[in-house]
Amino acid sequence: MRMTRREMIKLSAAAFAAGALNIPFADSAEAQGDDVVVDEWIKGACRFCGTGCGVYIGVRGGKVVGIRGNPEALTNFGFLCVKGFKGFLSMYHPDRLKYPMVRQADGKLTRVSWNEALGLVANKFKELQSKYGKDSVAYYGSGQCMTEESYTFNKLWKGGFRSNMVDGNPRLCMASAVGGYMTTFGTDEPAGSYSDIEKAKTFFIVGSNLSECHPIIFRRIARMKLEAPDKINVIVCEPRYTSTSRIADVWLPADPGTDLAVFHCMAREIIKNGWIDSFFVNNLCRFTTGQQVVDFEAYKQFLEQFKPEDVSKLTRVPVANIVEAARLFATQGPTVSLWTMGLNQRTRGVWANNLIHNLHLITGHICKDGADSFSLTGQPNACGGVRETGSLCHLLPGTRLITNEAARTQVEKAWGIPAKSIDPKPGFHTMQMFAALGAENDATKPLKGMLITTTNPAQSLPNAHKYFKGMEEAFLVVIDIFPTRTTQFADVLLPAAFIYEKGGVYGCSERRSQLTGKCVEPPGEAKPDLWIGAQLAKRMGFEKLIPWNGDDPAKNYQMAWDDYRTCVKDTEHTVYGMTYERLKKLEAGLQWPCPTPEHPGTAKRYVRGQDPIMDMPHIEKVPPQAMIYFYADTKHEGKANVFLRPYKGPEEPPDKDYPFFLTTGRVIEQWHSGTMTMRVPEIARSQPNAYVEVHPNDAKQYGLNNGDMVKVISRRGFMVLPARVVKMSLPGILFIPWFDQAWDRMVNRVTIDAVDEGSRQPEFKICAVKIERVGDPRDVAEMTIISNVNDPFPIKV
Amino acid sequence: MVITGSVLFIEPGSEKPVLEALARFPEVTFQARSHSGSQLVVNLEAEDHHALDLLCARLAESIPQIVDITHLQVHFEDEIDGQTNSNRP
Repeated sequence: MRMTRREMIKLSAAAFAAGALNIPFADSAEAQGDDVVVDEWIKGACRFCGTGCGVYIGVRGGKVVGIRGNPEALTNFGFLCVKGFKGFLSMYHPDRLKYPMVRQADGKLTRVSWNEALGLVANKFKELQSKYGKDSVAYYGSGQCMTEESYTFNKLWKGGFRSNMVDGNPRLCMASAVGGYMTTFGTDEPAGSYSDIEKAKTFFIVGSNLSECHPIIFRRIARMKLEAPDKINVIVCEPRYTSTSRIADVWLPADPGTDLAVFHCMAREIIKNGWIDSFFVNNLCRFTTGQQVVDFEAYKQFLEQFKPEDVSKLTRVPVANIVEAARLFATQGPTVSLWTMGLNQRTRGVWANNLIHNLHLITGHICKDGADSFSLTGQPNACGGVRETGSLCHLLPGTRLITNEAARTQVEKAWGIPAKSIDPKPGFHTMQMFAALGAENDATKPLKGMLITTTNPAQSLPNAHKYFKGMEEAFLVVIDIFPTRTTQFADVLLPAAFIYEKGGVYGCSERRSQLTGKCVEPPGEAKPDLWIGAQLAKRMGFEKLIPWNGDDPAKNYQMAWDDYRTCVKDTEHTVYGMTYERLKKLEAGLQWPCPTPEHPGTAKRYVRGQDPIMDMPHIEKVPPQAMIYFYADTKHEGKANVFLRPYKGPEEPPDKDYPFFLTTGRVIEQWHSGTMTMRVPEIARSQPNAYVEVHPNDAKQYGLNNGDMVKVISRRGFMVLPARVVKMSLPGILFIPWFDQAWDRMVNRVTIDAVDEGSRQPEFKICAVKIERVGDPRDVAEMTIISNVNDPFPIKV
Repeated sequence: MVITGSVLFIEPGSEKPVLEALARFPEVTFQARSHSGSQLVVNLEAEDHHALDLLCARLAESIPQIVDITHLQVHFEDEIDGQTNSNRP
């Protein structure tokens, strides 16, 4: 009997689902059906968070017509979340930018040719550099660019322009994690991998609503917890009782910004009860104030100020919860800690990261199966693309500090540029960059031009109002796929290709790089960022530095990748063994360090027999008898730093005038500033607008009912949005998700732009606000997007 | 039309009543079961993604033994054809 196409698709899809879960499936349609259902399934990675889920994209007739999770991917084992399945549908939205545009004298953006647009950008950048110096033009990138793209722009700026005015939106999400790893271990990124999850017995989830922000990772943990509820322990430290907290054995509801005291208190309990790992304490830990090395006794004494009763008063976490969390963490391991923005987006973000590492180091829950201190990254390529390629103002490829002369010399050699041509002085970090951006006739603003790609700072910068004028007055070039709040300030708008229209490498939280193949052509005249960067380089006289400017996009990406992996070959972040050929073949990609084309990649760092760097003395010298050795230790003793960081609360705690904590975050449906996910109707409808969560006690005091319109006011601005009266936040704490681009509900009009002294990451998570009831419930489910590039910015700047 | 390859995770021992209940949903085609009987492979068919979400919600509501519904593959060529054909130039 002849099968219809519909029946073939059904059988093929069912056979695939069954195969992914090892469920017997008798029908042979899988083998026959795939060829009929699609022309090709192309391997790739999801782009909607930092987990790095493997996908297969189904292409038929030049269009993406299907998606499946990759069951062989070691990140997601075939499972995808709502964003993974639906988010990329936005690539077919009619608002896609298809042609280069230049703002004319009448203020309108109008279509021009690529040649005209690129010529204008190149000439203007050259003019600005000539008039105001090499550092007058900045690059602001993204943890969503492909690795090859970030590397190219970084190389063009630092090696071509000799300017370190390079930063990106990972400064807003991961910089404190980088700072934490660098100060504790001497090098960035985790020692372990996701594979530790299935070997762990206790999970410490801190400052992360994993269930909404990394749902596939949450699924891995939840599955273990549900299968063995008595054997798996989950501790959640988070001011809101989120859906993540629902699987917790212990909830530590610390007031925003007070958790440093909780972590120190847990360390005190661990030591007091003798739950330390003496080998680690004696051999692998260095106790330090940051200025001075001290001994273990001094650390014990320091912790005495963090008695559970005192900490409970300070943080609102019950004493018993802290004590039990310490017991579970130390004695019921192996233990994995996982965190994201709740720890990082803070003025004490680096310190908070240090204190989590402290707990792992004194208990020895690191460098062992099922044990790790693991920062989850928020964006799909913040690790691989920005941290690892060194596309921040203070870094070089291989996450090496630009202030390090030896690193500069190595990179200059790799790039074939004269010795001492890389500027040793770091450029401006993100907030400094946007504060310094302005008009040519404004002597107080040293930055006169900026190229922004794949990010939306006009919506995502904290205290955003302060930075609009600079964006409006400077020469702003924006590369994106849709109109956004940022494109409303653009002088030149360059239409970009979506990930599945170009391909390239993404590197996720666990040091794993995966190659996505190009699936379909971009719409109109949209181009890959790599092409744009290379063409700009060519027009500015740097085609020898960036030679991947040919007509074959795949070859260009491969050339850029090869240049990058050669540049970091002799570093402990080496990806030299990850050739395109291997990444194309391997279902799960590879984890660095991966020093040779034969190396299988590294799941666990600092452990002999697992980490190849332990036996590569030309990169790091490790004593032959050492089984665990923190080789990036700047003192060359193989130790990690356990910090005696003093307690310090948030920059702007509530007071009598602004009595509420405001905290911000994501929701499962929406990605970042919503410019893509808000264009997928099912997603937009399910979460159409931002809202403010208010505890019932507070709601009663302010006369608020569910849906009432509320004005949320900080010292910097205000917003108006509907109330959701829920018990999940403690009294005195408000929560607002940040995806909504509607002017009234843009949360960064009220957030604070104070930054961490070490990482320069802003404190998005905490500021003080007051609220007023301003009206009855109103339908605000507008699903706001900016459809027309010439829609004006909502206010006169 | 959106067609999925999905897995229903169901409570242990509930296979028979779940299959009986699924028979009342013409948009659901049962395809295979795991050895333990706690995972059922099905196709879900819906007009578009929104209708698929509604179908999942209806299934979860009317069959309490369903613990979770997970799509492993989603095929949506009709929806993309409709979207690309209606795109303005």
